[in-house]
Amino acid sequence: MFAALGRYTLAREMAFRGNFLVKVSVELLWLGILVAFYRTVFASTSNIANWSEPEYFFFVGCYFALNGLIEMLFLDNCNEFAELVRTGDLDFLLLKPIDEQFLVSCRRIDWGTAPNLAMGAIVMVLALVQSEWVFDPLRVAAFFITFGCGVSIAYSCMFLLTSISIWMVRNQSLMEMWWLFTSLARYPREIFSGRWAEPIGGFFTYCIPILLVSNVPANVMVRVLDPWMIAWTVVASASLLWISRRFFHFALKSYRSASS
Amino acid sequence: MTPLDAIATRPVPQLLEEGGAGDQPPKPSTRGGGPLASAAKYARIFRIALIERMTYRGDFLFGTVLRFLPIVTTILLWRAIYEGSGQSELGGFQYREMVAYLLLTNISRMFSSMPGLAAGIAREVREGTLKRYLVQPLDLVGYLLASRIAHKVAYISMAFLPYAGLFYICRGYFDGFPDAPTLAAYALSLVLAFLVGFFFEATVGMVGFWFLEVTSILYIVMTLNYFISGHMLPIDLLPQPWAGILKVLPFQYMAYFPAVVFLGKVRGWDLVLHLALELFWVIAFMVLARTLYRTGLKRYSAFGG
Repeated sequence: MFAALGRYTLAREMAFRGNFLVKVSVELLWLGILVAFYRTVFASTSNIANWSEPEYFFFVGCYFALNGLIEMLFLDNCNEFAELVRTGDLDFLLLKPIDEQFLVSCRRIDWGTAPNLAMGAIVMVLALVQSEWVFDPLRVAAFFITFGCGVSIAYSCMFLLTSISIWMVRNQSLMEMWWLFTSLARYPREIFSGRWAEPIGGFFTYCIPILLVSNVPANVMVRVLDPWMIAWTVVASASLLWISRRFFHFALKSYRSASS
Repeated sequence: MTPLDAIATRPVPQLLEEGGAGDQPPKPSTRGGGPLASAAKYARIFRIALIERMTYRGDFLFGTVLRFLPIVTTILLWRAIYEGSGQSELGGFQYREMVAYLLLTNISRMFSSMPGLAAGIAREVREGTLKRYLVQPLDLVGYLLASRIAHKVAYISMAFLPYAGLFYICRGYFDGFPDAPTLAAYALSLVLAFLVGFFFEATVGMVGFWFLEVTSILYIVMTLNYFISGHMLPIDLLPQPWAGILKVLPFQYMAYFPAVVFLGKVRGWDLVLHLALELFWVIAFMVLARTLYRTGLKRYSAFGG
């Protein structure tokens, strides 16, 4: 089913090739801006929160790829959810003999952000080469596992916010909340140091673990292979996935099928 | 949906010919009983747009509060950068000044950003609804300007308290209020930032007469603008010749310039010169937007009308 939906959305995307190319160009431009920004910063400093330049660029590449995957698979779908609720068109998805969560969050793939994965991967590889990284299968395995967990945590947070649309209907601010989350995941966890910042960092690591999303995969690959943090990331991702699913089904009980 | 997939244009329809100008499109009119009546008309547009904007004030206030949270991460990032560098000053900015600068660019962008303006103009052209400005004594640019002022007034009124709270919490990053002339120059630079932003985006929107869909162009322009306007970091930090080039372009007036005016980094004749340059860019974009509008009307086909 997912492959069929993917083929269908790819055919749609390719009907407007010009648009696709522009979308890719925008993403490429944004990555270029990020690289220019950090190159400018690293011209004045040797490290940011004890992350050296190659390590930091690996982090940037990891975040870019992970965020690209989230945007490609889920963001458009979740964005449309409030409109489905408002118009009552959610009925058509609920009546289908397919899992509701799957249909709500995965029915369309935004192929325009798919190249972000490759762009992020290129930045990561270049950073590894620059840091003269020595191949370690354990680190690579840990990276892929935590990367998957990062996607799962980000998806669960987004889906929790999406589910609130059942009550709010207008969820413009909720989507802004999502951008807030991504801004938290965009920087190393180590910047949350000091009297007032440490509790914030702790809150977003252990209560709403959005700081784990790109921090843990980047850390295990180029910095510290911390088994406890990996275990916590796995537990957090599985728990959040379960909580978000339960919350969605709870929210659906309040759906009133208005306007349909 | 895209410029490359745009629908072919058609000859000027009957609607435009009814204006009595043959193949010449009717001139956008601002007539309606003299300047006083005209002012009253745009004041009414302002009032309606203000009421519309204030309808969703809860959602709006919530969104404003949320926008502060990325500011926290930005402050923490720059603290880590300064600590890592071991220097007290980067690009002529001390850490306190850097945080103050980044906070002030949020105020600059509050004035200069125009969400939906260019895409809205292109949509009016594409869907043919632009004709309502041609058959009524209403000037498109004047209407959009009055609406946008209303949106800004609503936004700034609602955002005032949260921003006042934020600046109060972050008061340690500032050396108090600047003197009265600097404050006056800052206020003027913000008003001009609004006008540069408005006419720049209106100019991009007018390109819709040729491409119908400008969203793609807009994405590229706005993504680039985010960096080159100095929203991410002060332009002074960039290496030469980039810093020099960006200081000649108009984009710095949308974020960088008002912030450095407040911080007292531009003074005396340099300040006067830059304010004059900012005014020059306002006029240049205004003329360009109006020229593109008039030229664009000649090929306008009123689709969907």
